[in-house]
Amino acid sequence: MLEVADESPERLYALLEEHGWGDGLPIVFPTEARVERMLQGYPGPVDEVLAVLPPRSGAATVKTVAVNAVMAGCPPEVFPVVVAAVRAMGQPQFNLQSVQATTHAVAIMVAVHGEIVEKAGYNAGNGTFGPGWRANATTGRAIRLILLHVAGGRPGDGDASTQGQPAKYGFCFAENTAASPWPIYPRSIGIDAPSAVTVAGTEGPHNSHDMWSTTPQPIFEKMATVMATLGSNNAPMPEAEFFCVLCPEHAAQAASAGWSRRDVQLFLFDRARLPWRMWRDHFDWRYRESPWATGVTDPEQLMPIMGSPDLIKVLVAGGPGKHSCVIPSFGSMALSVTMPVETW
Amino acid sequence: MVSRGFRPDGTTTAQQHSLAPVRRVLGGARIAVLDNNKPNAGLLMVSVAETLAARAGGPTPLVLGKNAALPAPDEVMAQIRAEADLVLTGSAD
Repeated sequence: MLEVADESPERLYALLEEHGWGDGLPIVFPTEARVERMLQGYPGPVDEVLAVLPPRSGAATVKTVAVNAVMAGCPPEVFPVVVAAVRAMGQPQFNLQSVQATTHAVAIMVAVHGEIVEKAGYNAGNGTFGPGWRANATTGRAIRLILLHVAGGRPGDGDASTQGQPAKYGFCFAENTAASPWPIYPRSIGIDAPSAVTVAGTEGPHNSHDMWSTTPQPIFEKMATVMATLGSNNAPMPEAEFFCVLCPEHAAQAASAGWSRRDVQLFLFDRARLPWRMWRDHFDWRYRESPWATGVTDPEQLMPIMGSPDLIKVLVAGGPGKHSCVIPSFGSMALSVTMPVETW
Repeated sequence: MVSRGFRPDGTTTAQQHSLAPVRRVLGGARIAVLDNNKPNAGLLMVSVAETLAARAGGPTPLVLGKNAALPAPDEVMAQIRAEADLVLTGSAD
């Protein structure tokens, strides 16, 4: 147990500094009463290990996760999402060891889907990625605190990120189901649950702006150019994922032209390309092992940045306006995980 | 007023590992390189391994690779255990 003479910001900052904890922002002190409130109604044992988190091999028990959720300022309503996100980060295909230890700027994107969005007060509308909503802000922050404290991913010691990025403070948004013309994202990948959460190791959102076009093609041609760049980790790894988060208006334009989610994926796969000579010249080593590039001889042949349209994850979030975004990933060695959120 | 609260780090399940004994004499040692395939890692480590092998009179170094973001495959580790006395490994970008 920890003991502090008082809960003043100065005292709590001193405590964090003494232990090497925290993200640099003020915290809520995790008293027994606050942690109990966070855990209230949890249907299982609170010492259940949700995941063992590298590189520290920290045991993320329900209770320890609740402690960090309190510190982050989470309202109890979002705790089921935090629990599911921790379970998801522990899945082998997420490869948290590498996500934590890389020099890449990878942050952990948390996308919230379904009934829990409204129930827990997530903002799926204007500024869903940004500040101003406690549920979004504290869920993302709780995940980062868990990665810092339980997993041991301190910058320079467990987290080797060369520069880091702002999304490492917290990166949580909500799918805008009501404004989406297509089924909820988890259903598109075979998960049929009232609520779900997706975690992915990613860069931050890259804007894709089009307020002029009246047909979907130019909107997604612009988006394709945001994807087909040489500097992201997707470039040397054709098996890496992209998240394309469409604003409701871009999605509506696509749907009104008869496009399905699959049509968006196929169009982007067709257009997010560069001449083979550019891939070859910049990433020669990648083509020694990439079967999809075998047999390509024309240096001007356009080759996609990703090996399959299935790697383009399409969902809708945000409010009015004509700004969508592309979220490149950490790479092919760490894939996104979507899990149902069990509520209580 | 004094407040009591919980630690946020919890327990760790990490097992304690100790380093293999240091080989004090390199004469005739079989040297291996475990390259994470990042640019320049192999270049540096293979150069060092070849220099050591030449000085120590050992065989040509064994050079094996792994994905930088994943643990070395079991067969690679088995080959190293069977065929090397000294392993150079590390990472580079």
